Amino acid sequence: MNKTKRIENTFDIVRILIAIAVAYLIALIILALISDDPLNVIGLFIGGPFSSKKHIGDIFTRMIPLIFTGVCMCFVYAINKFNLAGEGAVNLGGCLAACVAIALKETGVPGWICIILCIAVGALAGMLANAIPAVADQAFHADVCVISLMLNYILLYFTTFILKNVIKDQGAAVTASYKLGNKVKLPKLIPGTTIHIGLIIAIACVIFVAILFYKMPFGYKMRAVGINPTFAKYIGIPVTSTIILAQVIGGAFAGMGGAVQILGMFPRYKWESLTNYGFDGLMIAVLARKNPILVPVSAFLIAYIRNGADLVATKTQIPPEFVSIIQGIIIVLVAAEMFLSGWKKKLIFNAARKDLKEKEAKA
Amino acid sequence: MSLMRIGAFLFSTLRLSTPLIFAALSAAICEKAGLFNMAAESMMLWGALIGVMVNGWTGSVWVGFLGACAAGVIVGLLIALATVKGKADLMLAQIAINLASTGGTIFMLYVVTGDKSTSAMTIQSGTLPKIMVPFKKVPIIGPMLNKQNILTYGAILAAIILMIFIKRSRTGVHIRAVGENPNAAESVGISVSKTYFLTWAISGLLGGIGGAFMSMAYTSAFTKNMVAGRGYIGLCASSMVAGNPIGAMLCAIVFGVADAVANQLQLTNAPVDLVMMIPYVVTIVVLIIISIIKMSAHARKIKSKAQEA
Amino acid sequence: METHKEALKMENITKIYPNGFVANKGITFSVAEGEIHALVGENGAGKTTLMKVLFGMEQPQEGAIYVGGQQVKITSPLDAIAKGVGMVHQHFMLVPSMTVAQNVLLGIEPKKHGLVDNAACIKKTQELSDKYQFGLDATAAVADLSVGLMQKVEILKALAKGAKVLILDEPTAVLTPQETRELFEQLKLLKKNGHSIIFISHKLEEVMELCDNVTILRHGYCNGSYPISDLNEAKLSRLMVGRDVVLKIEKPDPKPGKAILEVKSLEKLSDTGKVVLDHVSFTIREGEVLGIAGVEGNGQSFLSDCISGMQKYDGGDILLNGKSIKGRKIADIRQSGMSNIPEDRMTVGCVPSMSILDNIMADRFERRENMNGIFMDKQKALKITDDLIKEFEISCDDRSEAIRLLSGGNIQKVVVAREFTSGANFVLANQPTRGVDVGTAEMIRKYLVRQVREQNIASLLISADLNEVLEVSDRLLVMRQGRIVAAFPKANMVSEDELGEYMLGIKTMTPEEMEGLL
Repeated sequence: MNKTKRIENTFDIVRILIAIAVAYLIALIILALISDDPLNVIGLFIGGPFSSKKHIGDIFTRMIPLIFTGVCMCFVYAINKFNLAGEGAVNLGGCLAACVAIALKETGVPGWICIILCIAVGALAGMLANAIPAVADQAFHADVCVISLMLNYILLYFTTFILKNVIKDQGAAVTASYKLGNKVKLPKLIPGTTIHIGLIIAIACVIFVAILFYKMPFGYKMRAVGINPTFAKYIGIPVTSTIILAQVIGGAFAGMGGAVQILGMFPRYKWESLTNYGFDGLMIAVLARKNPILVPVSAFLIAYIRNGADLVATKTQIPPEFVSIIQGIIIVLVAAEMFLSGWKKKLIFNAARKDLKEKEAKA
Repeated sequence: MSLMRIGAFLFSTLRLSTPLIFAALSAAICEKAGLFNMAAESMMLWGALIGVMVNGWTGSVWVGFLGACAAGVIVGLLIALATVKGKADLMLAQIAINLASTGGTIFMLYVVTGDKSTSAMTIQSGTLPKIMVPFKKVPIIGPMLNKQNILTYGAILAAIILMIFIKRSRTGVHIRAVGENPNAAESVGISVSKTYFLTWAISGLLGGIGGAFMSMAYTSAFTKNMVAGRGYIGLCASSMVAGNPIGAMLCAIVFGVADAVANQLQLTNAPVDLVMMIPYVVTIVVLIIISIIKMSAHARKIKSKAQEA
Repeated sequence: METHKEALKMENITKIYPNGFVANKGITFSVAEGEIHALVGENGAGKTTLMKVLFGMEQPQEGAIYVGGQQVKITSPLDAIAKGVGMVHQHFMLVPSMTVAQNVLLGIEPKKHGLVDNAACIKKTQELSDKYQFGLDATAAVADLSVGLMQKVEILKALAKGAKVLILDEPTAVLTPQETRELFEQLKLLKKNGHSIIFISHKLEEVMELCDNVTILRHGYCNGSYPISDLNEAKLSRLMVGRDVVLKIEKPDPKPGKAILEVKSLEKLSDTGKVVLDHVSFTIREGEVLGIAGVEGNGQSFLSDCISGMQKYDGGDILLNGKSIKGRKIADIRQSGMSNIPEDRMTVGCVPSMSILDNIMADRFERRENMNGIFMDKQKALKITDDLIKEFEISCDDRSEAIRLLSGGNIQKVVVAREFTSGANFVLANQPTRGVDVGTAEMIRKYLVRQVREQNIASLLISADLNEVLEVSDRLLVMRQGRIVAAFPKANMVSEDELGEYMLGIKTMTPEEMEGLL
């Protein structure tokens, strides 16, 4: 029986790797077909992100917001409620953090306190964003997913409104907020790259969430409710409050991701569209199988793929959006239980037969 | 407000409601089969893109329209394949397909035209005809219905046809049986998986037509992000009335009103972004109100059954 | 008595499930045209399996089926229907929003101009209904119908597809007495028309009233087929109820102390408005095991859920250790001293994909003694788990493997280990040894008795297993149709015959007779 578990475990990982490989291969084929210079383009896509110190650094930089949203979606996925408001939470968190930064710019408040306040406000924004669909679902049985998707649009327009009417810098050449000021800019971590200390904050969050998931009572309650709410009720775990709390806490991280991204990468707040970090985060959580510890790994993968696509986009005209096709294929293949299930059954069956033969031989 | 302006406003409402109606119908047929359709967005995107592309390629706007239909059906069948045969989680599979479609349509646009944001510059695409009504002089109704695109009438027709199909045709009855009690359906020999495939195909068709409206009715191009969440609004419209096609159409029109109001307000000094929020806020509020009504109706039903005993 | 043609014969049917459980062994019985044939037996006797074989849902290892004298192979429910065998399931297979006519003809709707010919549907259904005097309105929506009428729709469904043999599985379980009357009239009419009916039931008075012949199943074997006229209820009960093996458990006499659980006049209505708990009252004291015997489906599950807090009740009160637990959250109830071994260990009692350790710690992971500051104390959890694995002899490779990989018996051991060591002084045990191997069952029962005596706790044992309920319980109650119908001060002194008579409704004790025993 133990062998079955080991086979299942290894198999699940192999399955994910195969799904990624298949999707990646399809992307390569597409690139080869549409480009005039296939070998070069493919080389750029595969190797480009590793081609220089700066480029490698860019992967890590890109990972930062993805780790935050990946962590957020781990909560959402673990509790089995597809609340996708994390996408809009990123915008809301970034926008409100910018507002705080601008408000505190001229005051004497030291930089590091401003940064903490901005990130805290981002977290609160994210909590609020996720709370709305969560509560609507538990209180009124309105569908979590649909409300969260509508909310994303609302949050987008709300933050764009704030950008264009409250914090807009009239003197700037493009639509942007006032300068956020140097004292809130997150310092760079490694010279020669764009990596900022947001990465440290992100990793710290991952560690915190991993501890929460596996070492703290709330994490246990959350996982139990997500897998078997009837059991949770029977054993005395408060189901409704756990479901809402999980989503709200997850939202905090998405909001923080938005704040950290703004503070770390931009002198002004400029977002006029959804960033897609939230949806990427869901994919990261699916690949990481709800385990926060694996989030940086999947985030690395997504960042690598996206950077490859961006490099291809700058050198050729190919739009980086083709990456989303890869993402779609990966998620569907991973989610499709039947994918390679025949192979898995055969493996388990063969192992069981072997076990039986060994037992008979001993007897 | 003059009758003219009311008529014009209603015209605008009906026009803006058309894609919402198709999205709602697309979700409605799925709802009847017990399926949660979150992917109308994808169906519409591909319908819009392929419609324009085939139009440009063949020179015929109607062949393009057929292409849009086919594209929608294919999306629907892909979802069916992944979820029925592949047993993928319905939510995840649809989120994946929506993700792939938002980016994928932009990508395909580029591959075919070299342009990353719109096909207007490169593809010669036409528009579907508009229809003049003989009673165009009749106040309010005249201006509301006159010169609407053929697909707008198509939307209303589709709602009626779908209603008849679901209520009166054998297949429609089977779809409803599968939706309400798959065990009952299976026990009398109705194949649940075949029914799901059929439902997704029909749903895809409707979504594809909705997409065709976006790119081939008043504009003649595909622009990136042109669907902008209409698929989800259609889903809301349908789930409020438990998939009743006529009801879904009416709800879609209500959201169309919100859209039309937003459009009107954009002409004023009101801040554009707050105005753009209106349709989505209205959707959430209505969805919550309907959920509350359903909940109390259910509670009252249980109470009365207990009292009968 | 004229001999009618044989409509159905099942010969020498043997069915063994993949896990080795012998559900049917060499069962033979036959039903003639125009006969109502009862199939009776305790839970687990093999009735359901036999009917699954007949209806094509299971394939037998041995045996043959003859329909109308011809040997047939029935491969699926659709195949069974095609051969004239129809089943009326306990859980109705109806589409609530559709009309009676639409449901009856689902899948075989007549068409006109491409659309369903509603008029023809209604006509055909109404004719069928009138022919057998079902009293149905073909245009009524099924959702508005009473349970009794819904059942008639199910029967009509089978008839519309040409069923000559009808299987009715516990049809009166959900009916009011009035509806039962009506059903019997219908069935007699069907019988007159030459249909054959297989009537599965526990209600002996109904069997005696309605049926012509009866086949008794016991522990997978056929214990004979008899004409009803040769039997009375008492004889029938004796043929049904009995133990093959008599288990004797050595236990000291109970010395009941103060009251731990007091159930006072508990009332509950089901969602369909039926009375499922009818003024149930009893008290359990520390140091004793109170057993509740009864055929499943007579309110035991509802009783268990109400006591544990999983379901609400409509009247009465429950006191645990002197305090009312009505409407309290389950976490509170457990903290006040209750633990619960649920009927269904897989969907309620454990989280299948979580580890053994996680499942054991499920009720105590937040307690101060198991916490290390704000973290759950892993070392403590490991020790607790290892100790319990040893004490209960749970056979597993690794405490961090998923619990669903264990055998049913071992999973139950985990649940039992957790519930017995949660610090409660009242243990609610609902079918604690169902689906569990003999050795594990014995271990669990002995442990229960020992805990109750040595730790001076109280326990409520609900079980469909006669052995268990007669030997493990100190006092014994019998439940039927939501009511306590018998009370015995010493369980192991009750004869099976007597128990059977109360379980099957042949006898009922008056409140005076039960005075002081509840």
